[in-house]
Amino acid sequence: MAQTGILTRPAVGAAPQSTLTLVRAAIIVVLLAAWELLARSGLLFQDVVPPLFNILSAMGRLLMEVSFYQNLWVTAVEVFFALAIGGLAGIVVGILVGGSPFLTRAYESYLYYLGPTPKIIFFPIMIMWFGVGSGSKIAMGALSCFFPVALSATAGMQQIDKVLIRVGRSFRASTIQMVTKIYLPAMLIPMVNGLRLGFGVAIIGVLLAETKLSNQGLGYLIIQSYTQFNMPQMYAMLIIVFILAAVVNAAFGRLGDRSVSRQKRTT
Amino acid sequence: MDTASPPSLRTSQNPETKTGKPLLVIDDVVKQFATPEGPVVAVDHMSFAVEQGEFVAIIGPSGCGKSTLFNIVGGLLGGYEGNVTVAGERVSGPHPAIGMVFQEESTFPWRTVLDNVAFPLEIQGVPKAERFERARHFIAMVGLNGFERRYPAELSGGMRQRVSIARTLAFEPKILLMDEPFGALDEQTRLLLGDKVLQIQQELKQTTLLITHSITEAVQLSDRVVVMTYRPGRVKRIIDLDLPRPRSSEVVSSEAFGRYVAEIWGDLREEASRGMHDSEAQSR
Amino acid sequence: MAKDLRLRSLRFGPELTGAATLIGLFVLIEILIRIGVINGYIVPLPSAVLASFGRVIAEEGVLQRFLVTMGEALIAGVLVTIVGVSLGVLLYKITILRRATETWIAAFAAAPIVLAYPLFLVIFGRSALTISMMGFVSGLAPVILKTLEGLLGVRPTLINVGRSFNLTPAQQFWKVQFPAAVPAIFVGLRLGLIVALINVVGVEFLINFGGLGQLINELAERYDLPGTYAAICFVILISVCFFIVLERVEKWLRPAS
Repeated sequence: MAQTGILTRPAVGAAPQSTLTLVRAAIIVVLLAAWELLARSGLLFQDVVPPLFNILSAMGRLLMEVSFYQNLWVTAVEVFFALAIGGLAGIVVGILVGGSPFLTRAYESYLYYLGPTPKIIFFPIMIMWFGVGSGSKIAMGALSCFFPVALSATAGMQQIDKVLIRVGRSFRASTIQMVTKIYLPAMLIPMVNGLRLGFGVAIIGVLLAETKLSNQGLGYLIIQSYTQFNMPQMYAMLIIVFILAAVVNAAFGRLGDRSVSRQKRTT
Repeated sequence: MDTASPPSLRTSQNPETKTGKPLLVIDDVVKQFATPEGPVVAVDHMSFAVEQGEFVAIIGPSGCGKSTLFNIVGGLLGGYEGNVTVAGERVSGPHPAIGMVFQEESTFPWRTVLDNVAFPLEIQGVPKAERFERARHFIAMVGLNGFERRYPAELSGGMRQRVSIARTLAFEPKILLMDEPFGALDEQTRLLLGDKVLQIQQELKQTTLLITHSITEAVQLSDRVVVMTYRPGRVKRIIDLDLPRPRSSEVVSSEAFGRYVAEIWGDLREEASRGMHDSEAQSR
Repeated sequence: MAKDLRLRSLRFGPELTGAATLIGLFVLIEILIRIGVINGYIVPLPSAVLASFGRVIAEEGVLQRFLVTMGEALIAGVLVTIVGVSLGVLLYKITILRRATETWIAAFAAAPIVLAYPLFLVIFGRSALTISMMGFVSGLAPVILKTLEGLLGVRPTLINVGRSFNLTPAQQFWKVQFPAAVPAIFVGLRLGLIVALINVVGVEFLINFGGLGQLINELAERYDLPGTYAAICFVILISVCFFIVLERVEKWLRPAS
């Protein structure tokens, strides 16, 4: 029985790190070369696939303009508040719903089934309620990120080792102390994941709203490149946004990993 | 087996105590649970007392209601008849004079050993420097100095239980209530930790109520043993142990030790076999 | 009898409470609007929204729009399934490629793909193709990842069973590995398809083209408040139903879990 493992995977460790790097580099080079060829071939409508140099110089220009950073700031602030509001609401609801079996049965399904729905369609309502400025964008982001955070918090509460709650009660901790010193730390690992997802959808919510109706923010810059048919700038903007999103995502991932390693049993 | 009871083996059924200074009094406690098959009595008119500085062990077969009693005395379980009083004050909810050590793993995995042990002091609002100093004292008392900065995940099961004990001691409770704290550990670790607990109890003159299913543990550690019947849980016998104080794990090789263990097993055997028959009947 | 009813209602007590809270909320909003606490110009009467359902369905060709959206979602879904599973299988077979690209695909899965819709607009124009493509690209990553996970996670014992029957590599793959991976693959499909649908509707709204998403946009631009709310409710309802259907199919595929 112990021998059965060898058959499934091709020899593990056959490819050392250097080969991997080589393969990755090769893939990148091939893709970039193909891109460049397509760009210069004249096959597609002009500038739909701009030459790489144009994209890079557009990126350079963007990063040197003050207005880019002003727009970046607007978006960053909006995403921050969206995550703060939606995240806080999600955590509170999650703790309440997850902490009581009755409330879990009553409300968890609503969170679960209403989560995977398109939220951008609520944008007209948000505009009505919060105006055409940042308010509606923040609301959009908050609505989007509420659900994954609430669901993670609910699940997080349910997986807390019940004995830890009894420890807190036996030491007569107040409700606030129970929440801050026991519930939240015990839920940290699932919560970090929930916040990571929440952040992802908050970005989408805010930026899509900016592309639809706004005169500031990164989303606005993207749609502006579209209306001006400045394709190199559009590609540059998209690359920048994706990199920013990836960086924050990785940061959340690191946080989660660190917490996990501390709590992983070694004996 | 020596059947003649040594003159020092006194037994009693009532809560009167040797010195008359009861700290914890369990008076006629009855606890029922509603089940689909009808009400089940877990604890049936139990009465006994624990004096200041005494170490009392409660022993009974699995399923006899020991843990129910543990939760009632600790204030985590209500809805019972009778009284549980600490220094005259009725227990209704977790009492500041009672500290609990649980059977399961209960250290906070996200806190270091020092933060774990300082937890009750943190709850009480003791300032940082002071609570860390007091926590270190108890960490040393359980023999874990040097491990303050470690996380529970890095420690063995026995060490984690020591952290839990140190944490409860840091609470400085008048009464230490323990529910099979060494249940998950191997025999040798149990004996050694038992030694530690004896040391601590003797140093602090800590009033202790230990719930256990191990006869040797009960006799090794306590002054008196309360033997419980199988469901419904009642006091079958209370046995005073005339074993030396201060004590160490060497006591397990003494003759008196063996006699007490045999005596208690005699009481316990029929309860334990009733318990076994019940669980076999349920599994069919 | 009465005791039975009481027990039954206790059993569903929590669920009923949940539903009751929701209905109670709507009733509360209705009352608050009628007495003027909430501005009826920004929040329409729930009763008005309910009433407009019929009107919207009849006048706005909801059925045709629904079919358009479903058509776009279907194309996206089929593409996601075929391309996603195929790429998953490909990466399973070619280890070096998999190990080189694993982290990239994970990053791809977490990336806000839908933000690139203006790009797709340029490439494919303001058309149903853009919408389908958008749905396809955003739903792709989870399918690839879960397919890989499923294939890599096949229990070694099952592989050995195949070996003991002297199966060829092709037989081994099609008769043992792939079927064993199907439950995991379907989890991926559920994730990918729902993301695809969400993005299809979302992009319809954003580019004001297509079926239901466009309907919401139109009604909003016409300031038909009850209609907009009704259309939004309708779309949410459809997403929820779609999700439930996918869940049922998934459960049917893995009866053991």
